[in-house]
Amino acid sequence: MPQQIIKVTRPTKIELIRLRRRLVLATRIQKIVKDRVSILILEFLQIARQTVEAKRKLLEEFSGTYRALSITAGYHGYIALEKEMVATERDLGIAAGLRNVGGVRIPAFELKEAEREPGGYSLSDTSSWLDRATELSTECLETIVELAELQRSLELLGREINRTKRILNALEYLIIPALSTTIKYLYMKFEERDREEKSRLKRVKVLLEQK
Amino acid sequence: MVNNLPYEKLLQESLKSELRVINAHLPTKPKPLSDLLGEEYPHVVCKDGSTHLFRRKELKYLASLIDASEQKALLLPMLIEISSGQGEIAVVCTGEAEVKVIAKVLDMAVSLRQRKITIYKPQLAVIRKLLRTTTQYIFPPRP
Repeated sequence: MPQQIIKVTRPTKIELIRLRRRLVLATRIQKIVKDRVSILILEFLQIARQTVEAKRKLLEEFSGTYRALSITAGYHGYIALEKEMVATERDLGIAAGLRNVGGVRIPAFELKEAEREPGGYSLSDTSSWLDRATELSTECLETIVELAELQRSLELLGREINRTKRILNALEYLIIPALSTTIKYLYMKFEERDREEKSRLKRVKVLLEQK
Repeated sequence: MVNNLPYEKLLQESLKSELRVINAHLPTKPKPLSDLLGEEYPHVVCKDGSTHLFRRKELKYLASLIDASEQKALLLPMLIEISSGQGEIAVVCTGEAEVKVIAKVLDMAVSLRQRKITIYKPQLAVIRKLLRTTTQYIFPPRP
């Protein structure tokens, strides 16, 4: 790809100083953006690993919960179990907020403490099988909330990595090379002007000597 | 040969916003762990006006690592400074409590130098895995 030159109004020393300042600034920004991309990628990979882990955990917990629930249903009978289940129905309370990872706002969900406590059904009429099933389903709920947070974080981080990488590429392959080439071009212009000046002076000297 | 790069201005604008957002999440006033443990929704307010929510599980984990007097001294979120162009990363420490926490999380002795603990990327991954909401990145502008 040919190196591009930024349009300068007049090839002057002031313009050169301005361009050099811009180059320094662009290089500094490039370093910061590069660091940010590496941090975002690190976070993305970590969250991806945690997502896989959470999904596997959720599947295991679901199978455990269904097994426990089937045993409970077999022990108490469907009608009795449904009667107890109706009493345990309640709204789900989740504390939602935001946290920031390298400039990306990602959601943070947490199941409220009260939601973790099982209960609502009669302890004297039910067996420990139901307690176990309830305990397991609460664990499932916690993992679902965790997975929701992780998946959304993954999506947002992925989008931000793409965006930041585009900026980094623009800096690395477009802005900084263009600034460097323009600075080089200005130096060449100044040298050329010097040479012209020198030859002109020589010519003037010859003319003066002839007189 | 001369090109005026029509989208150069656009890129300049996006770069400006990039620098603006990069450190906007820093807390206006960090809170001690002991205070956060007592809050219903443990959080801090950030410079951009948003709130940063802490995970209660992490706060309890931190509380289990240090004693009650250190809990008052440990200010959260802990700041992780990313130095540009180098592989080194530093955890900013305001007191001894941070040193103790980092040493226990990494399960190794750490040394404090100029109020900072120098760590490397594999160690950063360990810290971020365990303390996801109680740590935050900071990108210092360097000349």
